[in-house]
Amino acid sequence: MRRMAEAEAPQNPMMSLSWVTLAVVVVIGIFSLMSLWMGFQAYGSEHPEQSTYYIIIGTAGFAAIGYMFFRTKTITTKKQTVPNVDVDTILECPSCELKRVRDFKRGDYVYKDDEPCTRCEGTMLITGIHRRAEEKKSKRS
Amino acid sequence: MIRVFLQVEQLLQNQSDIGMILQTLFSLSFIIYLFYAQRIQAMSMLRQVEGTLRKVKEIRDEGRRISVETVKEVGKPEGDPSSDVDRFMEHFLIPPVSLDPAGIIGKLGQLLNVRENTFKAEVRAMAPEASDSEVSNLENLLEASLALNIYYKVIRHYYLLGKKTMNIYIIMQIHMILPMIVREIEAYSAALQAFKNGMPIGDGVGALVAAKMMHGHEWTEVAKEMVAAEVPYNGRTLIVTKAKGPGGSVGKPGDAVDKILNMRKGKDEVKAVIMVDAAGKLEGEPTGSIAEGIGAAIGGIGVEKYKIEEAVKAKGIPLYAIVIKQDITHVVAPMVEELYTACDTAVEVIKRMIEEKTEEGDTVLVAGIGNTVGVAQ
Repeated sequence: MRRMAEAEAPQNPMMSLSWVTLAVVVVIGIFSLMSLWMGFQAYGSEHPEQSTYYIIIGTAGFAAIGYMFFRTKTITTKKQTVPNVDVDTILECPSCELKRVRDFKRGDYVYKDDEPCTRCEGTMLITGIHRRAEEKKSKRS
Repeated sequence: MIRVFLQVEQLLQNQSDIGMILQTLFSLSFIIYLFYAQRIQAMSMLRQVEGTLRKVKEIRDEGRRISVETVKEVGKPEGDPSSDVDRFMEHFLIPPVSLDPAGIIGKLGQLLNVRENTFKAEVRAMAPEASDSEVSNLENLLEASLALNIYYKVIRHYYLLGKKTMNIYIIMQIHMILPMIVREIEAYSAALQAFKNGMPIGDGVGALVAAKMMHGHEWTEVAKEMVAAEVPYNGRTLIVTKAKGPGGSVGKPGDAVDKILNMRKGKDEVKAVIMVDAAGKLEGEPTGSIAEGIGAAIGGIGVEKYKIEEAVKAKGIPLYAIVIKQDITHVVAPMVEELYTACDTAVEVIKRMIEEKTEEGDTVLVAGIGNTVGVAQ
């Protein structure tokens, strides 16, 4: 049996710029550039009122090109990963009530007699397992 | 703005060469948009679906890889389990005919039992060295991979069909529900880590509440993968039941409730049933908030809910529900701290409810519903 990924390879969506899109981008780019140039020319000429119009068209053209590239880049380069979060295991000693928190290890489960207590002779019991609270990210990061 | 508009109007009225060219270009774009607007919209939507499809494929492939690796690591099979995992990921269930709905619950229950037994047998064959708990966790892991595979194939179906026909209504069907589907897929992708390592999940809050109440008391198996313990509380006798942990299982709470209610007769008869389960929260509600209500707090396809409702109806016993609210992204992901702490609050709520609604000497059945992965008793 072939691997599923290999079997489906021909139907996988491709996300690349086609030559048509590229041609459209080039044409829009040339027009936008021309429009901007004419805008600056008109600004110093006898009809300065025309400059606003040309500059708006030129800027909008470049904005459209930028948006197109930005979208393509985001979709093609962003690698989707399966989340892997940090999980804590809470241990409590029933004898001396010592509480300890450590990283989760495979095989841990709630109400498992785990490791010897470091304070007394008792055995520590896992009383809780939960995802570690994420530190709030600052707006700049 | 008005000034710009006036300037544009003035320019368009100007019969200069450049004005003519621009006016023609604008008219052309308008005509093109008039005829091709729907096609442009369809292409834009297809592009978004395509992006999501790529993302889902990566998650699905990762799910498959994790499943194969875990089977190898835990089960130590002699050969390569990849083909078995692929076969498992293509498994399906044909629901019974609903044209004549009488007796459909029994048929559905029977099909689900066969499905569970088949899955368990397949996983045991795939992972001969795995313990019972590990087999349950592997089964859950493979089911998450199976779900991801179905999501991928359905999205791909609509994407390819939409691309083939360029029919906006076919494309819209998948495009409109895409944000919800993405949330569900992200939830399943988080489940991979939980089931791989046997961590408690958000859905396990009901089981954790029951475990907190029954821990330290002797328990017995009352139904398939269901345990129960008698716990004295404030002059009452509580019978606390949950799925048998720590392996990932939801058990058969319907059978357990039915059996317990029929077992207790005379003065030992159960006077009230309280069910605890996880429930989906609405946007704006805090994660881990607790609500009280009436009825069978249990999800799933409806077979177990039906059994519980039938059992309490036959005895005329009041059925109370307590739910711990959570987002869909928390349900099968490793349990978040808010849900863990909410379990302690839920225990207090149950105790208050028992004091308010029953009298000393009464017997009360408390059923903790949900997947008990990572939670023993």
